[in-house]
Amino acid sequence: MTDIKLLAASEDHLEAIMVLEHVCFGNDSWLEETMRFELLADHTRYFVLLEEDKLLGYAGLSKIPGSEQADVQTVAVSPEFRGRGFGRKLMDRLLAEAKTLKATDIFLEVRADNLPAQNLYETLGFEHIDTRKRYYQPDNVDAWIMRARLAPSNKTEPIVLGIESSCDETGIGIVRGNTLLANVISSSMDQHARFGGVVPEIAARAHLEALQPTLNQALHDAKVSMQDIDAIAVTNGPGLAGALMVGVGAAKALAVASGKPIYAVNHLVGHVGVDVLEGDLELPTIALLVSGGHTSLLLVRDLLDDVTLLGETIDDAAGEAFDKVARLLGLSYPGGPAIDKAAASGDPKAIRFPRGLTLPKDMEKHRYDFSFSGLKTAVARWVEVAEAKGEDFSMADVAASFREAVADVLTAKAIAACNDHGIKRLLLGGGVVANARLRELASERCAANGIEMRIPALSLCTDNGAMIAALGAQLVMAGRAPSSLEFGVDSTLSVEMVQTV
Amino acid sequence: MSLILAIDTSSGTSVALIENGQLRAEHNVPDTMKHAELIGSAIQDVLARAFVHPSQIDAVVAGRGPAPFTGLRVGIAAATMFAAGCGVKLYGAVSLDAIALAALPTVDASKNQPLLVTTDARRKEVYWALYSGLNEYGEPIRVDGPGVMKPVELEEYLLDRNVHPVRTDLDVSATNLAFLAEAQLRAGTVSDDVTALYLRAADAVEPKPRIGKAVSG
Repeated sequence: MTDIKLLAASEDHLEAIMVLEHVCFGNDSWLEETMRFELLADHTRYFVLLEEDKLLGYAGLSKIPGSEQADVQTVAVSPEFRGRGFGRKLMDRLLAEAKTLKATDIFLEVRADNLPAQNLYETLGFEHIDTRKRYYQPDNVDAWIMRARLAPSNKTEPIVLGIESSCDETGIGIVRGNTLLANVISSSMDQHARFGGVVPEIAARAHLEALQPTLNQALHDAKVSMQDIDAIAVTNGPGLAGALMVGVGAAKALAVASGKPIYAVNHLVGHVGVDVLEGDLELPTIALLVSGGHTSLLLVRDLLDDVTLLGETIDDAAGEAFDKVARLLGLSYPGGPAIDKAAASGDPKAIRFPRGLTLPKDMEKHRYDFSFSGLKTAVARWVEVAEAKGEDFSMADVAASFREAVADVLTAKAIAACNDHGIKRLLLGGGVVANARLRELASERCAANGIEMRIPALSLCTDNGAMIAALGAQLVMAGRAPSSLEFGVDSTLSVEMVQTV
Repeated sequence: MSLILAIDTSSGTSVALIENGQLRAEHNVPDTMKHAELIGSAIQDVLARAFVHPSQIDAVVAGRGPAPFTGLRVGIAAATMFAAGCGVKLYGAVSLDAIALAALPTVDASKNQPLLVTTDARRKEVYWALYSGLNEYGEPIRVDGPGVMKPVELEEYLLDRNVHPVRTDLDVSATNLAFLAEAQLRAGTVSDDVTALYLRAADAVEPKPRIGKAVSG
């Protein structure tokens, strides 16, 4: 198809419009003078649909200043171009224009025997409210009066449904503005246990199975129906591609079925944005996001417009390191809680495990980056050596010393970021925040450095749909345009891309 | 009967709307990589061209495959949520059966040969199923499969059973999937099972646990 343009009509189009007017309306055609007046009047808005210079259709709207009603004056599509969605395109433009002109209702008349047009108008939200008998003469056909309500979109406290499927948690959350209504999470963690880590294909399969029950539960918990939802938000990255695709396919279909706008949002920024559900998110802030898939240090000056990645892991995520070390110590999956438990009676200073990327030369290039691969190997080697020597070592000491190394390097770099940037706020997020020692050490060090620390409720720290809904609601409230229906998933989506449009 | 929306992503992205045996609109993109990108606008396009509002739809049918993992899920997820969004019935059907529905009328019944439907399963394998004809309701009668095999193995399998089928290389389309669901509704065999037919276990290897062995990497 060649380039098709929808433009505001001018007097230059009058001649072509009159030709099409006669083709489309025959005896009912307006006079050229009437059409000229319509095109030029202050209270009307006319649009033309052009393929190169050829006029495919036109449509006009009338809205008298001071009135809250708008009227569709005419819609015409050249017979040879019908059935290709051009009528809808023109109508969409008129509806958008009516909203811009702050009309609350829009009316039109249509022949009672023009079923295709009536169907189109119904799909656009018009309903048949009255009939004018024998309005069209000489055919003696009734006119249907149809009306659509142009309720202003709910931007003060939008109800937003968020879908999260970037890793092994299927999350569907619902918020009203900054208020949490529902946060339902279905985890496939148990299915990954025997593999010692998240298996992408298993996670993706589980998402598909979990969608429907998770949605039902979320709507039930929030005491809302799909009709109450103002917008849908979905994670489109970063994360596991196959898993993300399930959520994106689901969200798009839900948006089309319910006629709601869709917002494609960033998973990591969702972990920051979730704090709006727990009170004011004070900015700027440094954010440390630690999970099985991510270890990132962010500088957030504005949640929607200014998020900078300061550093991230160059190999394993912190949560992954916990899983791998738990496995080599013969502990259960997931590793975080298992190591926390094993470490409870251990001495964190018993073994001095390395702190990745903290040497002076590393700090030049990787000041805010993390590395946990070397730490994991160091633990493995230490255990091997001890076993080879037949030494009776304390599992608790190994677990506590490993955990201390992780917590130390995470908090040291986060505090450094706060101090370097002169930002006295640190927000923690991600599933590893559940780790008792990490919270304790972060709390101590923040206090010592005069930094205010915030940790959302744990159910909002792990991957969840509520954080995606919350970020989506922020976009709606800021008046951001929805995403197009064509966005894809991006497993390495940059944190600076808060919304994919 | 009624308006049925069918979605199948076992090959490309295919969406169709039928009403009482008549196609209202369809949207087919053969690209096997962009299901997540295409699915929303494909559904929207079909509705717009048929001038149908989602609330008018009576049932949604999802193509269950068999198909290689990733793309298949997008269509099933979309069908599931579309049905949930409109509050209508959701059905599932085997995508190979939809191909058979389209191909069987072209098979010469007098030769009494079954129809073999195969599709690309990647990894040098094919998905397959065998059909003996259409029943009185117009449903394909599946006599074997669906399965996944290397082509050579499939040929041996058929030879061993002295089966010499007619073959089709038709691709699945949501239109045929919708007609299949219509036939199943007539026959009372329609199913609400929409689980994906992967026919393969997830690729995953259980690690060797434990301490004492060299642990690295």
